[in-house]
Amino acid sequence: MEPRRKFDERYLARQRWARAGWVYGTMLALGVFFIGPFYVAFLGSLKDNPLEWPFRATFAQVLPKNWAAAWKLGQQGAGNPLLGGFAPGAVIPFEVTYFVPAGTEPATPTVTVPERRAGAGLGAIFDEVQASQYAQVSPVEEVSRRPARVGEQDGQIVTYRFTISYPRGDPTASEELPTTPRLPLDVEAPRGQVFLTATLDPNRLERRGRVASWDSAAPGFLGYTFKNYVRVFREARDPNTGSSFFLRWTANSFFVSLMAVLVNLLFASLAGYALARMYLPGKGLLFALIILLMAVPQQAMFISNYLVLRDLSLLGSLWGMIVWIGIDMAKVFLMKQFFEAVPREIEEAALIDGANPITTFFRIILPMATPALGALTIMTFQGIWNEFFKAAVVLSGQQGSYTLPLGLSFFRSAYGVAGDWGMMLASAFLSMIPIIILFVVFQRYFVEGVSTSALKG
Amino acid sequence: MQSSKRSEALYALLFLSPFLLHLLIFFIFAFVRTIWFSFTDKTTLNESYNFVGLQNFVKLFGEERFLLALQHSIGFMLVVTTIQTFLALALAAVLNQRLRGIAFFRTVYYVPSVLSSAAVTVIAIWFFQKTGFLNTFIGWVVAHAPVILALAGIFLLAQAVQVALERARGLPVAPTDPALAAISLVVAIGLTWVLNAMGLVVPREQQPPEFTWLTNADSFLGLPIPLWSIVILNIFTTIPSLMLIFLAGLQDIPKSVYEAAAIDGATPLQQFFRVTVPMLRPVTFLVITLSLIGTLQMFDQVALMGDSAPLNSIIVMAYYVYNSVFSGEGRIGEASAAALILAGLTFVVVFLQRTFGVSEKAH
Repeated sequence: MEPRRKFDERYLARQRWARAGWVYGTMLALGVFFIGPFYVAFLGSLKDNPLEWPFRATFAQVLPKNWAAAWKLGQQGAGNPLLGGFAPGAVIPFEVTYFVPAGTEPATPTVTVPERRAGAGLGAIFDEVQASQYAQVSPVEEVSRRPARVGEQDGQIVTYRFTISYPRGDPTASEELPTTPRLPLDVEAPRGQVFLTATLDPNRLERRGRVASWDSAAPGFLGYTFKNYVRVFREARDPNTGSSFFLRWTANSFFVSLMAVLVNLLFASLAGYALARMYLPGKGLLFALIILLMAVPQQAMFISNYLVLRDLSLLGSLWGMIVWIGIDMAKVFLMKQFFEAVPREIEEAALIDGANPITTFFRIILPMATPALGALTIMTFQGIWNEFFKAAVVLSGQQGSYTLPLGLSFFRSAYGVAGDWGMMLASAFLSMIPIIILFVVFQRYFVEGVSTSALKG
Repeated sequence: MQSSKRSEALYALLFLSPFLLHLLIFFIFAFVRTIWFSFTDKTTLNESYNFVGLQNFVKLFGEERFLLALQHSIGFMLVVTTIQTFLALALAAVLNQRLRGIAFFRTVYYVPSVLSSAAVTVIAIWFFQKTGFLNTFIGWVVAHAPVILALAGIFLLAQAVQVALERARGLPVAPTDPALAAISLVVAIGLTWVLNAMGLVVPREQQPPEFTWLTNADSFLGLPIPLWSIVILNIFTTIPSLMLIFLAGLQDIPKSVYEAAAIDGATPLQQFFRVTVPMLRPVTFLVITLSLIGTLQMFDQVALMGDSAPLNSIIVMAYYVYNSVFSGEGRIGEASAAALILAGLTFVVVFLQRTFGVSEKAH
């Protein structure tokens, strides 16, 4: 073996820095792998057509220019810069710019406020007040004209202006004029003219760019940028009551998750304490049984549970789901492990004082268990918020009592046919918000919880 | 003393009673009743039903959809467990470093496991559409293949040249020397940029995607393409949890073992295979077992796919059972039999893995 030259200090330091660089680079790449899909899906949820090809990372809804315009138009339309609308008294100036190739005489475009139903699926059920009934479009006038060269073609750029207004009507009339949520707008240019730009970028360009179409010319910032998110609340409504499905499902999810947390906080800690500390003949046998039952798949038990809940008339009810969720074995184990680590002297002192086990438990044991109860709360809430199988078995068919995961599944089938991906993606992201907040605040519990509890498939 | 013991046992029973009642109704009674139903012709509608012996089981093994579900479940389990165990271990090994900010990355990677299967599956269905992001991304990589290959080629060449030069100078550098690799990367990026600017290496024009994931009738390695979509989705969402379990295991291995190995002259790669892998055996056992159970019982992702893909191309055992109860006349007898087969399969697979696969004991 030839003699090795010794590496000097500087070489080793360089080596360390380079290795750290590669490790950070790898971790960044992995981060892109795990978060990237959600990021592109989020971009998709903002688009007019989430399935557009080729995929664009920059589009109308992410341009600050349109944010400002949408804000202003929302204010002009209904005094609502966030959600927009079209209210009596509104006066909305609008400009559209076209490229007219040389040889063609510029002609004024045709402006219409069409009657357009909101979206596909559930939204189409409702008869909403149409802006077309009340909108008045002023004559279109030319504002400016200048020669320009677009691409290879010579020609001129022409800008037109018009105003859409909503007259206030007779002040003595008994009924007030309605505010419409949207102001659809179509601007059709004569043959040969190419749409260039407008006060607000249109949602669609049809017929080779001749017809520019807006879902609302007074959308407001949220109504334009987060159009699909606003639609989730506006369009998906119960056909009978007219109330928002999504809000209802969110409330249902909170109700079931919080009830499950309460049930588990109380009963899992009671059971865990009894298993950890109290004398009970046959405890070992009970243990073995629980371990065995934990390995039996859910599918081998839900059939009977479904029939039991049916006999109790709890199908389609959130209480049915809560009863079935009941007390989770894994949570009982968590509490048992915690209580086993608590020194015995504390409760013995209480018992000598003559307190019975119930008083001891609630006065002394439970207040000590706060950290374990915190972990239990977070884990149960997250688990039940995401629970799909039990919801699918118990709540099927009762749209009013769906929880969010089941609601998403319902949206998937209701809007999937029409390919309305904006609605589906937006609702998926909205349903994540509570869990993301919980995760950001209590991430330690999540990350540590995995090593101790079993994971689901 | 005797009476105080008895009173303690009574209190214990009182404390346990809600839990035991729930266990009795929703687990023990439920399981026993499923066994009983599997030998009957019960449906969700009929009030009276008859004992039919093993007829349900016989019928199942003659039914095409059940056999498909069985085949898919087993294939899915084997593929997903294998891939995700290896990837999770590799990921944990990368993350098992003492570096500033590592906890942040660990948290970020865990995000796919925290979110609900419903939300993630809806997003995944978008991903797998014909003009969805997966096809867009693959199309981008294919179109940029000349650039990517040039970059990789120049990188390897630069690294080889540098390592040869250093060795000629008598420095025993490893082929993977990180500092040299950093220089190679800079060289590769620079040269590729120059080649690109000179028009010698340019990306091809991207073609509109043709491949469909969810409505594809073809199979790959015996599993339908739509099921492969679920394989990818499932691996993506479960890797983070498994990775954290591995990471906990890795952090339990005492540092002194590695130091001893290093003194004996073991390279990092040797350390990984001779020290890490054997010491991780109990954790690996846990991960594989959890993965086997989880994949066999996978339900959410298939149910949420719904009619986005043909049922026969994505059906698995867990969904078969559910579908038998909630479609048509609700054949509870057959569904129970299928559920018992699934339970039996789970036990057998876990037992086989324990006996012949990775065992619990560390070496």
